[in-house]
Amino acid sequence: MSKAASMFHPKRLDLSGFVNTRVIRDHNKRNAFAQMEPERQALRYIIRNTSLPQRTRAQAQLQLSQMHCYTRPTQVKNRCVASGTARSVFRDFRLNRFQFRMQALAGELPGVKKASW
Amino acid sequence: MFSGTTRSLVGASKRLWTPISIRSLSTPNQPSAPSTKTSTTAPQIKAEPTPTSATSPTSAASTPVKESAAPEKAPVKEWLVEPWRSLTTLLTVLVLMILLQYSRSDRLADLEKNARLPRSVQALYLRPLRRKAEHGLPVCDLQLRSYSAENLEFFADFAIRAAYYLKLPVSGPVPLPRITQRWTVIRSNFVHKKSKENFERITLRRLIQIKDGHPEAVQAWLAFLRKHAFYGVGMKANVWEHESLDAGKALDASLPEIQKTVGPHLAQFGQREDNKRPGTIFDALDNARHAEPKNL
Repeated sequence: MSKAASMFHPKRLDLSGFVNTRVIRDHNKRNAFAQMEPERQALRYIIRNTSLPQRTRAQAQLQLSQMHCYTRPTQVKNRCVASGTARSVFRDFRLNRFQFRMQALAGELPGVKKASW
Repeated sequence: MFSGTTRSLVGASKRLWTPISIRSLSTPNQPSAPSTKTSTTAPQIKAEPTPTSATSPTSAASTPVKESAAPEKAPVKEWLVEPWRSLTTLLTVLVLMILLQYSRSDRLADLEKNARLPRSVQALYLRPLRRKAEHGLPVCDLQLRSYSAENLEFFADFAIRAAYYLKLPVSGPVPLPRITQRWTVIRSNFVHKKSKENFERITLRRLIQIKDGHPEAVQAWLAFLRKHAFYGVGMKANVWEHESLDAGKALDASLPEIQKTVGPHLAQFGQREDNKRPGTIFDALDNARHAEPKNL
């Protein structure tokens, strides 16, 4: 299997909102993972199944390790949809902390208010 | 909780009377507007009928008399203020005004005496009606969620009224515990870690329970609520259906129909055409490629 990440690039940019090289890369990783997940799971199953012959399991191990790194779930990282930042992104809003604050103060996030207690 | 909404609605009902009377009383004044446009007495004339309408909307009989008296004063003052305007035109305008006013005020009086709001509309200003549950068997739990109490209360009220007209006994709205989510974020976009800001989002919840209603009526109710979903109010329903004791027989009877519906799905199962090989899976496992060396 070729190691080029370009195999996962879409022909046309299928993203909207804030777009960035890193955002596109993460998007490609997500697509690659989604596409190859059944195969990964099948190989994982073969590796863990002790009733299968050792040779098959070893081959499966090899195949799994040779799969492209983009197909790994650990490659996926949540990114802010408004700024593309990868740090301190709230899962609830898919926003970076600073973007969250700006939008909350602007009243763009329904129900979010300044709290004081 | 609930009295709050009813109180506000009652207030609305009181207010409802004034727009009707103001509109109907102000329309006769509209023809007078061009004649009194330049005069200084215009605000006085317009100001007179409104307090009477606000204080006594029902005593419509007294108002036309006052109104007819008011324009009589007006031309005199206008005559003094604007001497260049001819008397004849003024008089014709006056007569027209009086005629118009009489006819309209009569109509208004008739309306206020004879007409009333339809009962279903009138019921909106009262507490929602409810059916009595015969057995008290819960059939459907509807949970409403919102960030704003007003929308939530309004829609809960709407749902209860809709349930009444579908003859569904309903209990609620039960205020469920609020869900408070809090976030503390650094104020700046970079460094200054000690300066922070708190945000919160409080989700309000209401539970409406339908008791011993027909499943179809419950579905109709839910569909109606979905059709008229209110902005900013989310809905979640748990529906329970109850079967008679001989449910097994009914299941057996419905089996052929179910098999028919499942057929196309089951046809999808099986081996792929391009993956077919002679022999069973055990043959494949026993061949040399998969054979495990025994002395390992």
